[in-house]
Formats: sequence, C-alpha cells, structure tokens
Amino acid sequence: MRNVAPMVAAGLIGLSSLAFVSCGGGGGGASVVPTPVPTNPSNVVSVIVDAGPNGPNNSSVNTLYTTVTVCVPGSTTSCQTIDHIQVDTGSYGLRLLASVLTLSLQGTMASNGNSLVECTQFVDGYSWGPIALADIQVGEETAASVPVQVIGSSTFATVPANCSATGTAEDTVAAFGANGILGIGVFEQDCGSGCAPSTTVDNSANGFYYSCTAASVCVGTTVALNSQVLNPIPLFTTDNDGSILVLPSVTAPGTTTLTGSLIFGIDTQSNNASGSETILAVDGLGDFTTVFNSQTLTQSFLDSGTNGTFFDDAALTLCADPNFKGFYCPAGSQPFTATLMGTNNTSITEPFTVDNAQTLATNNPTFTVLPTLAGTFSTASSSNTSNTFDWGLPFYYGRRVFTAIENQRTAVDTGPYVAF
Amino acid sequence: VGALLVALVPRLACAALGEPESSIAGDLQHLKGSIKSTVRSNYRVHEIQLPSGTVLREFAAVGGNVFAIAWSGPAIPDLRQALGRYFDVYVTAAQAKQGTRRHLLIEQSEFVMQSSGHMRAFSGRAYLPQALPPGTSVDELR
Repeated sequence: MRNVAPMVAAGLIGLSSLAFVSCGGGGGGASVVPTPVPTNPSNVVSVIVDAGPNGPNNSSVNTLYTTVTVCVPGSTTSCQTIDHIQVDTGSYGLRLLASVLTLSLQGTMASNGNSLVECTQFVDGYSWGPIALADIQVGEETAASVPVQVIGSSTFATVPANCSATGTAEDTVAAFGANGILGIGVFEQDCGSGCAPSTTVDNSANGFYYSCTAASVCVGTTVALNSQVLNPIPLFTTDNDGSILVLPSVTAPGTTTLTGSLIFGIDTQSNNASGSETILAVDGLGDFTTVFNSQTLTQSFLDSGTNGTFFDDAALTLCADPNFKGFYCPAGSQPFTATLMGTNNTSITEPFTVDNAQTLATNNPTFTVLPTLAGTFSTASSSNTSNTFDWGLPFYYGRRVFTAIENQRTAVDTGPYVAF
Repeated sequence: VGALLVALVPRLACAALGEPESSIAGDLQHLKGSIKSTVRSNYRVHEIQLPSGTVLREFAAVGGNVFAIAWSGPAIPDLRQALGRYFDVYVTAAQAKQGTRRHLLIEQSEFVMQSSGHMRAFSGRAYLPQALPPGTSVDELR
C-alpha cells in the first residue's frame, strides 16, 4: 500500500477550488466557508452543478462535476488533480482531455504489440485517443493501474476513416463541456464482450478499439475485458459495488449552482445502506422500461450525463427559437406522470414537470440548475417515434439514486440495477 | 494495411440512403454484416447484423431507392457508409451542437435524423421524408 498522504493533500486543493467556484457563482446566497474541513467519511466526494470549465458565456446546464486525481501507476508524486470532471452514470470509465493532462501516462498495447487507441462513440460524434494506465483517486477511494482514455492526444492525431465515419470529433474541452468524464454506470467495461476476443466470432471490427502503429496506421482489434477502459468503482479496494448520488431538491425555475455528494459503495458503510428504495433491475444494455402516454419505451435509462428530461410527446409545444431547438416550450408549466418498470417487474410512478426552456434560460441567465428543462428526440409532426425515455440529471435532484454495478452483490440484490 | 485503405475508397461510393436498393450489397460487404430481408406492404426491409452486435435496417421502395435507415445496439454503425451523400449534412448539423451528447435531432425538408442512447446502447434512424412510399408511417421506420 503506497502512502496516499500527498494525494489527499492534492485532493483538498481540488475541493477548495470547487468550493470557490460555488461561492463565486453566487449559489443560493449561502454563507462562504473559506477553508474546507475534511469531515466527510472516506467514501464521499463532493459534486457540483455549475457553469463548467468554459466559463459563464459558454455555460453548461444541469451538468454534474467532481474532482479526480490521477497518478502515474505506483507513484505518489507524479500526480495531477483535475477539476470539472463530469460525473456520468450513462458511461463507463475515466476519460481525460489531453489538453488538460500535464502528467505523462504510459500507453497500453493491443495484442499485436501496437498501441491501443479508442474511438469512443457519442450520439453526435466521437472522441479519439489512446488508452493509458493511471492510478485513480476520487475522494479517498483509490484504484490502481486502471485503463483510461486520453482524448485528443497529439500522439495519434490521424483518425481512422471508420472512426470519423461516426460523426464529428469531440476532443476539446470546449466541445466536451468538461475536462474529462468519470463513467460510473452499471457496467464494468466501456464495451464488454462485443470487443473481447471470441472463439466463435471475429470481434475485431467492433468500432471502438484499434491497434495503431507509431505512424497512426490503425486497424480494428479485440481487447480483453480487463484491458478495456474500466469503470473504476469495482477496482476500488473498498466500497466497490456501486455508488449513490445525493443531490438536494431544487424548486423551479432553479438556482445558480448546486452541491451534493457522490457516495461510493452500497451497504458497505453506515452512510450508504439500502433502505426502502425501489429497485429497478436493468437489461443487458443498461436499460429499463418507461410507460408514458400509453407508450411502452423499452430503451429507457437514468443518466446523470444528460442535461434534461428527454422524451417524445407530440402534443407538447417545441421551442421555435433555433437556439432552443429540440427543447420543449409549453405556454405554462406542464405536469406529467410516467411509470418506470425494471426487468424485475418492479414499477414506480414518477411525477415530473416541464417548463418553457426558452423562458427558463432567458429569465434566469445565471442559473445552471434547471430542474424542469426537457426536450424531444424527434419532431412535433411525428408521435411515438423513439423507444426511449431518458431521465437526465433533473431526475437526480432531491433524492438518493443508487447505481449497483453488474456482478456486484449488495445487501438487497445483485447488480446491474438502479434504485431510488 | 495500405491495400485495405485503398480498397475502402471506391466502396464509399456504394452508399445506401438515397441510393438504389442494389447498393445495399455494397453496405453488406463494407460493413462485414449478415443480412435478412423481409417484404412489407410497399417496401422491403434489409436487416444487417453487424459484427459489433448492432442491427442496421435499410428500408427500400420496391424497385426503388433506400429511403430510410435505422439502427439499434451497442455501437453506432458506419454512418459515412450508411448515410452516403447525407453524411456531410449530418456532420455539419452535429457540429452546430444542440442539446447533449445523448441525443441528436436534425430536421431538414429532405433529410431527418434522430439519434439517441448512451454508451453500449444506441438507437437512431435517418430518412428522406419526400421519398417515403405512399402510406408509409414514420413510426414504422425503426
């Protein structure tokens, strides 16, 4: 066990800067506490919704951040603490933007001895960059020698055609709205068995992983499960079966900033015990079913990385202003209910409210927390077109949301599941 | 590897959306998938099972052109291949970012694209509204 004291100190610097950002943003008129006191249990890290790393003129909305320390594996001195890492229950693994990473991390190799590089897919584009090993510290939890992605590295600047074919590049802090992403959803790997070697099928054209020569000539490759980019939580030495996001409730229209906690572990300490929460088991894609407006939407999910509540309702007015394209702009507050159903046949009814997105933003230009912000996947002219209800960060406001990771057993069930 | 890159270039011409139904064979070869075709009332659906585990469906008017594609699964398909000449429209619109990384909505008079999902679970579709066979509902295109 290495000495973690210097890393803890580095972590406190990060927390201090987070607190400053919170106060600087004028959050809720709370009194200023200049010196953070490390009273938290060791499995808790502070999280914040604020304008993000691109400043007030290019502010993020409903985007949750924390601070992460990465170190060269085994080192207690070659470390870097990075703030404004997005907390994302809709992805798996840590990704850092090369432009903010000052640490030199050792890249990993594909099975053919060339460098392992990943094309991470997002709905509107991709992030290209090599896989490297890092020790990860979040709060006081540590995971040793974890594969992470370094996005936008100059070492492999040439993107293979099959990767760029998925859309537009997202490899800068400006495009990302964060200095990195901490993926802590229900799965252990970012791709899983579809990218792993198989005796029955050729998985080399998986679209995610490539082996690249120094000259950036890349071909698709399989990667063993434990060499893929990994959700760090199962690799923590303790509190490694999942996490709980705890955020205060927010009344509409919202507030400037919001601070809460990310608690690691479920049923491992007194502060993360399961209680009377409803457990929704999720399927092999990480999804459950939402019943809304008589539609049964089987590809529904909870996602702290989505900045609103997203669903299709042809009767709800969309914003006409192109700056708010895809968001709803009803004349007044619209109340709804939906039913969430897990694959374990447990269900729970959820009320929610949609407000006019343009009014929310225009009347509250300093707010980064907008609990009634909602949008659509499709168009007003076509109903019932998506199979998805995406419960974004607003769902997390005002409750404790448990995310239990696959293959991990808590006191009440085995992951993958979500509970609240 | 060099030969592979060269070989890819001419095949990019065999794009699907807006191209003749026969171009689907080019998709199949390029995407290394297996195919299953079914006939509906006024169009055919070609379902391509991709190596990634994702299913790509291409909707073609009988004897006509591909008017829609839809996909669902753990990875987004090769959209340059599947969208063909509309790929640049998609990229330009995606760069003018709206919403979040979890959804994309492009709505133009001749091209509509919707894409959503999260890591390991994507779905989406693109279609040409003016090319839909008469009587075809957008809801069928999934």
